[in-house]
Amino acid sequence: MIGLDVRLPLAGFPLAVSARFESGAVAVMGPSGAGKTSLLESIAGLRRAAGKIAIGGETVLDSERSVDLPPERRRVGYVPQDSLLFPHLTAAENVRFALSREEAGRRLFDEAVAMLEIEALLPRYPATLSGGERQRVALARALAAKPRLLLLDEPLAAVDVELKGRILPYLLRVRDEMRVPFLYVTHNAGEALLLAREALLLRSGRVESAGPAGEVLSSRRLAAIDPMARFDNVVEGVVEAAEAGGPARLRLPGGEVLRVPSSGVAGEKAIYSLAPEDVLLAAHPLDRVSARNVLAGNVEAVDLGGDDALVRVLAAGVAWRAHVTREAVRDLDLVAGRPVWLAIKTQAFRPIR
Amino acid sequence: MLPPTAIGLLLLELLRRSGPIGRLLDRAGIEVLFTWKAVAIATAVMSFPLLVRPARAAFETIDPRLLGIARSLGKSRAEAFWKVALPLSWRGILAGTLLAFSRALGEFGATILVAGNIPGRTQTLALAIFHRTQIGQDAEAFRLVGVVAAIAFAAVWLTELLQRRRGRRETAAA
Repeated sequence: MIGLDVRLPLAGFPLAVSARFESGAVAVMGPSGAGKTSLLESIAGLRRAAGKIAIGGETVLDSERSVDLPPERRRVGYVPQDSLLFPHLTAAENVRFALSREEAGRRLFDEAVAMLEIEALLPRYPATLSGGERQRVALARALAAKPRLLLLDEPLAAVDVELKGRILPYLLRVRDEMRVPFLYVTHNAGEALLLAREALLLRSGRVESAGPAGEVLSSRRLAAIDPMARFDNVVEGVVEAAEAGGPARLRLPGGEVLRVPSSGVAGEKAIYSLAPEDVLLAAHPLDRVSARNVLAGNVEAVDLGGDDALVRVLAAGVAWRAHVTREAVRDLDLVAGRPVWLAIKTQAFRPIR
Repeated sequence: MLPPTAIGLLLLELLRRSGPIGRLLDRAGIEVLFTWKAVAIATAVMSFPLLVRPARAAFETIDPRLLGIARSLGKSRAEAFWKVALPLSWRGILAGTLLAFSRALGEFGATILVAGNIPGRTQTLALAIFHRTQIGQDAEAFRLVGVVAAIAFAAVWLTELLQRRRGRRETAAA
């Protein structure tokens, strides 16, 4: 349980966030400058906010009762946008920073290193690491301190670049294997939906909406307040052995098999991202098309915005988002409940890992 | 800044046997005036301000959030200082130390007031040069000028070197 009632004066407006999360998997979204980073810093105790903050039942801030634990006693792991690794220490020394030299420390170190797959980076200095590598080392450093809560601020630059370097797959492992509760700042609604059960949408320091991720991150609402937000389709599946001469295959949890560019080893989990612009919709069954993935589904919802529309289609157990023109919506008569066929090229899927 | 002789006089007042600090030292059996200890105190007081500026500049270039991260990793304020702030600013501190050292080499006024000019005991290089010229040993004085110039030059050169070559890894990260 994470209980927030944070008040903090900022340059343009006051930050005033009141929300309560039960799931331990929370996505934080909102336009740049909405106060997301300030909120994380307040929770970590790096900014002196007023109000009340409770993490897993322990109150770390209660200004009415003069409770304000210093950062070192909050046990909150913070991974800022720019990673903030200690530049004078190697990756290994960074991860070891919070640890004692005892046996227990050694085990936590090994565990964090294995989880984030940073073995090869250990002797290197932060300046020689890529942005994605730094984020992984910073996450390992935070995990090694055995936090009660993780705060992750995904760099905005990662919205467009460095798909391979994304922290997302590692975060999924942390969520599933270590079960550390987290707040994850991202600009990618697709990732947020894959990762989080609850979401917090901020706008100008205030809560625009908070609750189950699916509801909070409905594309209409998010697109209206965050022009940078992306609605990538993010699918997770298990890699299957490719047929001779054929593309790699990804089996979705629902059983459907996608043709994707090869990545990873057969039998292992893999995550692919797909831009909504790359999803074609057809009103009739498709026959003999070059796109290797054709799925039958039903329109769930149509979000209109300007000349564009984001159409949500449920197919093969996945909620797909297709970005089409308003004209296409009219011509194909796309309304909720209508059966449609999705056509997706193999190359449109991009492996996140 | 006060003239060195003025500082020297103030130190003399403080350290003399009947002075506020001198009395305590006297009771503890510590003799300071006109010993090498007085030289050390006088040169330290005179050159300390030169250490402060580069050291402070170095501390100010550290992202304060790094110290915040150190604390969120369980370190106290003092530990964060020792493990992060100090290692990241040692170049500035060392540069300041060398600068202060150069200044101390040339200190004259304050030293001569509190330590005198006793050959073999409290005579510094600066004092020795003065002394030699007074007794007409100009050649000897020039030899000492050569020594002091070499030391001062080496110190300044080292300072420049440290400030310019701010370790590859640290600048690349910034």
